[in-house]
Amino acid sequence: MKSSTITAIAIFAVLVVLVLLLPRATKQQLQGTLFQWISPVLRTGASVQQELGGVRGGLKRLDELERENQELKLENEQLRATNSLLNNLEAEVNRLNRALGFREQSPFKLLPARVISRESATWWNTCTISRGSKDGIATDMAVVTESGLVGKVTTVGRDVAVVLLISDESLRVSISIEGTQEQGIVSGTRASSSYAPDLRIRFLSKTANLTPGMKVLTAGAGGVFPSGLFIGTVKDYSAKELEGVASVMPAVDLANLQDVFVILRQR
Amino acid sequence: MIRFFLSLAALIFGSFLFQLYLPPVLLLKGAAILFVPAIYFYGCVSLPFPLMLALTFFTGLLNDLLLVPQANVDYPAGVSTLVYLGPGLIMHGLKPLFLKHRWELHWLLAEIGAVLTPFLLLAQYAILSIERTEFFYSDVIVWRILGPGLISLVIAPCVFFILTPLSHMLGYRPGLRLAR
Repeated sequence: MKSSTITAIAIFAVLVVLVLLLPRATKQQLQGTLFQWISPVLRTGASVQQELGGVRGGLKRLDELERENQELKLENEQLRATNSLLNNLEAEVNRLNRALGFREQSPFKLLPARVISRESATWWNTCTISRGSKDGIATDMAVVTESGLVGKVTTVGRDVAVVLLISDESLRVSISIEGTQEQGIVSGTRASSSYAPDLRIRFLSKTANLTPGMKVLTAGAGGVFPSGLFIGTVKDYSAKELEGVASVMPAVDLANLQDVFVILRQR
Repeated sequence: MIRFFLSLAALIFGSFLFQLYLPPVLLLKGAAILFVPAIYFYGCVSLPFPLMLALTFFTGLLNDLLLVPQANVDYPAGVSTLVYLGPGLIMHGLKPLFLKHRWELHWLLAEIGAVLTPFLLLAQYAILSIERTEFFYSDVIVWRILGPGLISLVIAPCVFFILTPLSHMLGYRPGLRLAR
């Protein structure tokens, strides 16, 4: 074997062992720094994606109007285009109004943030938001929308942060079922993704009388998530040998997240 | 050679970022479209062994830092360097075929790379299953592992046929005499 090959193997092995042995906090810092470096690219990508989405949405509306108004097609084209743009604007205003109302009524101090990328890794569900340590964000802070719980912050850069979504298998949240004494732990499964979230509640009692539509709320145990945050509704329940298991329909549309709020502290 | 290595590293970095904006293929039960393995495997068959190891380290580390939440203890940063190393070594062993510089052999190597792509995902799945002591299994899991390989059967030859002229353009022609 050539000496250059042996040297290369030795250097590779040392580097791998060094990286593996790094403390978790250092790895989180490294990840935060990397996301900080690439944040301009992520922001640009998010803007381009939004522009493309807007154009596509507009065209869809034009198609529908075209079918309904075939004989007036040419005369009304300009009007329909304007209408489509106004519709987009109205939807945006409505969305922001809802978000603003939620922020003002919430018992928590909330920091608004924009989702700038959704990582589509096979086994992990995360997204990146446009706020970071300079805005007061720290790891383990809960992230919500006006509809319910989104996840928690795992990595923080100066002005970006990575959020682990509730659809991820590794995020476990203690929950209670509204109107019952039932408590359990909700998490995603390995097959879960933000496009097809598959949430399961485990450690329910075998005699739990759960029916579809019951509300699942955070229980507040563990200190990361305040109690009472809406997670979703029960889809079905089954009693296993040792525990009760229920599947949950998440309240938040994780595939189309745009604006979220980070819970800084209770008011 | 170094210029080509750096270009591959830059392409891998760019592809990781590009992949962030690619939605999963819902027809294949949420399988991801992956460009990185094809570029990495091209590096494995074209670069000398020390640079292939450097590319493995770079790709694996970047994979973990960009895609894996580091709050998790079940898949720490650095593990993917070992995950990439296995298939990478197999591809590097096929370098003599690459050096024949016949398009049909390059195509064959690209397809072998595509076949090896699911092994990267299978290894990650196995590590997670062992660490979480739970072998969660469903048809979605099978598609998530095999789907990217199926997609790579199409992507990988294109990547190989684009990268060969790029390497020649950058003056790296492994196994070929320099054109005068």
